[in-house]
Amino acid sequence: MRWFWIDKFVQFEPRKHARAVKNVSQAEEHLHDHFPGYPVMPASLIIEGMAQTAGILVGHARDFKENVILAKVQQATFHGVARPGDQLVYDAHLERIDENGASIRGCVTRDDQPFAEIDIIFSHVGENQSELDLPDKNFVFDRQFDVLVGGYQLDKLAPQTGQQP
Amino acid sequence: MAMSRDDIMTQVRETLVDALGVDDDEVTEEATLTGDLGAESIDFLDIVFRLEKSFNIKIPRGELFPDDILNNPEYVENGKMTSTGMEKLKKAMPHADFGDFEDDPDINKMPDLFTVKTIVNYIESKLAAA
Amino acid sequence: MRFVLVDRILELVPGQSIVTEKALTLAEEYLGDHFPSFPVMPGVLMVEAMVQSAAWLVRASTDFAASIIVLQQARNISYKSFLPPGQILTVSVQAKNITRATSEFVGQGRTGERQVVKARFTLTHSNLAEQDPTLADVDRRVIQHQRELFELLGGSTLARSTATAREPVR
Repeated sequence: MRWFWIDKFVQFEPRKHARAVKNVSQAEEHLHDHFPGYPVMPASLIIEGMAQTAGILVGHARDFKENVILAKVQQATFHGVARPGDQLVYDAHLERIDENGASIRGCVTRDDQPFAEIDIIFSHVGENQSELDLPDKNFVFDRQFDVLVGGYQLDKLAPQTGQQP
Repeated sequence: MAMSRDDIMTQVRETLVDALGVDDDEVTEEATLTGDLGAESIDFLDIVFRLEKSFNIKIPRGELFPDDILNNPEYVENGKMTSTGMEKLKKAMPHADFGDFEDDPDINKMPDLFTVKTIVNYIESKLAAA
Repeated sequence: MRFVLVDRILELVPGQSIVTEKALTLAEEYLGDHFPSFPVMPGVLMVEAMVQSAAWLVRASTDFAASIIVLQQARNISYKSFLPPGQILTVSVQAKNITRATSEFVGQGRTGERQVVKARFTLTHSNLAEQDPTLADVDRRVIQHQRELFELLGGSTLARSTATAREPVR
């Protein structure tokens, strides 16, 4: 299992909003444990999809210079279950960002219907996690991540307002 | 926006109940954020963001919880806050009640400065200045 | 990857609480992406471990009445620490309420004495046959598989030893 829970970005407004999609497919092996005979996308992985969409929006806002760490999920509320063949659309709205961290309000839709609300707080400095020896480098946005971001083509999606994303 | 202190307290209470998962009746003015309400450091960031949204104000870094003074080892000697540190902290936090802490500036007692009342005082002065 | 985030059930009090363990190993392939130079357990999989633990508690408390048990809401999931491979996540979940269709919990995850995560959450439980009677067979198969997995995780042994405890929740 790779740890990518969004497939592509379809909208990207720097420092404001990002929209990404995730296709749910029978080809995903973990679905066949959850549950055998009735595959359902685990809600926890939908939270991760929003965390990845939002994390990239937050990271991009500060040039990917810091580690963006999932610190708190204020709430994650689900209105249904996602099944193979579904496409989930993640909308992450950046509410607040500073050197400490960022706050995101997120909505997930399926066929333009509300599917989930997920609100997240990211920390830039591993606020709560200072007990552990954090590596003295950016481990979230590293060289492998550059390849991924290249694949997502965020620059092509950013509105052409004369400002470089 | 003329909010009464009671109105402010109600909204602060709602914010803390949401952010910390505590019950309404646990959120009294004297309740300490870390001791009584179980807040941890990431909760402070969550609380600041929620208060900004709830009261439509901007809380610059360190204005409500001056972490640069609190976490500065220069202001701590033998487990107690130095007088310089105390002066700086009192200036940075006019909204807090320093009585007990001044009597015994034990660094471990510092979190007790952060009560629900501290937040209500801060919001009151912020809204008055707006 | 097998999507089983509980390796062992350590304690189980039907209707009340459950304690489980999940051992993290570098053999779990997704760690190669999270993160390449700093492998640590993804926070959402800690949540999944808590959800799966709670679901076992529901099944043990209701005699496996429902086939589909999923997360409906989580609040204030708070992360305190990272968990690297080679360590064990001990999950404790306490039930606030278990009814036929929903259940509410408070959960904590720690490694040794170090707290790693905490959350409050609600699950919903259902059978597919409630919406579509032709799916009753699927319900049976799902439940049978879960009974076998429960056995594998040590749950049946524990349940037998606390059998004197209480009536299953209706």
